[in-house]
Amino acid sequence: MTPKAQERLLKIGLYASYAFIVIVFLFPLFWVASVSLKTQSELFEVPPSLWPSSWQFENYWHVLQTTPVLTYLWNSLRLVVLTVIVTLMVALPAAFALSRFKMKGKNAFLLVILMTQMISAVVISIPLYRLFASWDLLNHFLLILAIYVAVVLPLATWFMKNYFDTLPEQMDEAAIIDGCTRWQLLTKILLPVARPGIISVVILVAVQSWSQFVIPFILIDDAALYPVSVGVVNLQSTQAQITTHYLAAGSIMSIIPVIILFLLLQRYIVGALTTGAVKG
Amino acid sequence: MKPETNDPLASPTKIKKKFLNTPYPWLIPLSLLLIVVFLYPIIEIVRMSFSDMNLVDSEYTYTFESYVRLFTLPGFWPMLGTTGFFVFFSVTFQLLCGFIVALLIVRGESLKLKGTIVVRTSVLVAWAIPGVVIGIIFEMLYTETQAGILNHFLSLIGLGPITFLSDPTMALLSVTLANIWRGTAFSMILMYAGLQTISKDVQEAAKIDGAGPFQRFRNVILPAIAPIVLINLIIISIDTFNTFDMVMALTQGGPGNSTEVIALSIYTSIFQEFNLGVGAATSVILLLINISMTLVYLRVLGKGRNES
Repeated sequence: MTPKAQERLLKIGLYASYAFIVIVFLFPLFWVASVSLKTQSELFEVPPSLWPSSWQFENYWHVLQTTPVLTYLWNSLRLVVLTVIVTLMVALPAAFALSRFKMKGKNAFLLVILMTQMISAVVISIPLYRLFASWDLLNHFLLILAIYVAVVLPLATWFMKNYFDTLPEQMDEAAIIDGCTRWQLLTKILLPVARPGIISVVILVAVQSWSQFVIPFILIDDAALYPVSVGVVNLQSTQAQITTHYLAAGSIMSIIPVIILFLLLQRYIVGALTTGAVKG
Repeated sequence: MKPETNDPLASPTKIKKKFLNTPYPWLIPLSLLLIVVFLYPIIEIVRMSFSDMNLVDSEYTYTFESYVRLFTLPGFWPMLGTTGFFVFFSVTFQLLCGFIVALLIVRGESLKLKGTIVVRTSVLVAWAIPGVVIGIIFEMLYTETQAGILNHFLSLIGLGPITFLSDPTMALLSVTLANIWRGTAFSMILMYAGLQTISKDVQEAAKIDGAGPFQRFRNVILPAIAPIVLINLIIISIDTFNTFDMVMALTQGGPGNSTEVIALSIYTSIFQEFNLGVGAATSVILLLINISMTLVYLRVLGKGRNES
């Protein structure tokens, strides 16, 4: 076989495997979207049809009207936005200190931070549940927020520390000679340069907090406060089998915000995941 | 610069300034949050595991009874077996699939094929979807009647219908499969990063020296990405040991206890069987698993640093 023919064969093989991978990963989403637009009788059709015969957008309307899915979405949105903001407020100064100051026991401290990242949320939620229940503090928004922040904080801090490490220290020296305080050095010099790193952290934190399940599931028992992850499970258990298309519509609504965020910021994601995990 | 440390007349602002020039104030919020949200619960859960506390009474005494009961419970060892199966197969195939996808993408990029970004993004979407929603999505795919889409496809090639979620063995397989789908993206992206660190020159040189694709894979690619494979292995193992949300939505641990993995069994012990001691003891076991795997991770990481 000539090298040219060989390369052609290789390309065909690659495209075939690409098609297979894309189908494996997108088909489940396509199927749920399709189910969400079907009529009730179509759900039981044998054989099942891939496309809905008539696009039942009413299903979405029905879910919006009869379930608190909008409340769940709003709760999640509020929680995620505030988690991102507070996490940055705590992680950026900490990462700055861990990157720029000499201090005893710094490595040990970094290791402790890393360890907390590996601990299951189930394990920490149970003592917190007991504590909050005894003080009548379950369902407390600020406490839930603080736990959300703590859960993503190790990753955010490690990530930003690594990012600051890549910025040259000559910048600091120049700024200090110009009379900058440490605070000004962080806010006026380093943060603007670190913008790509910060965007990556924002994505990682936002996706993780949007998916967070165990903590609200255990620490919130007031359905009006459920974030969408817990809300969707709630829909799942209260909707009978017959309403699969409604559950599908609810699921699609719960992932639309992350998918949008994801597609908008996709170029930062690969970098974020790789640096976050490889160096962290 | 003049020394300020011992100046008894230093103004409060100067002391404040001095303090800001040490790392400690910058780390206080972080430390406080981690202590309250991690350290306190860990101490508490260990204490609980050695006591006969329950969710209602405030009276309790210290005892080993929870551990004795846990190890003699008929469901304990099968639960560990289920977890072991789930973790082993999830991790193996997440690693393998992630690696294959990454290799295909990198190969396509070097040939300047169109569509590599589409492939990468499609896989990564699975990473962004909440675990509970993945559970719900797979529950729909796994519908056991002829109206179920997977069973429909299987019947086209003469297999099925399969009882994906109602048969205990199949249910565990189905949950594991869904988890492989969920976790492949993370492995893929790590491997992708790893593969990109291998210089093109080294690969070309090996090619010119007459190394075939298999030899190049064994002698050039594999050694170069071995540290990343190891790190990936540990991270996805920890993640899989801690899996709760997807299984909760997909099977709730059933049928029977056939898909009750360790994190789920902690929840069930405490909130459904009200057995705080046993749940806490199980938590301590999960905690020990997490800590020991983190220590392995650090060793690997430390080794990598010393070599480079």
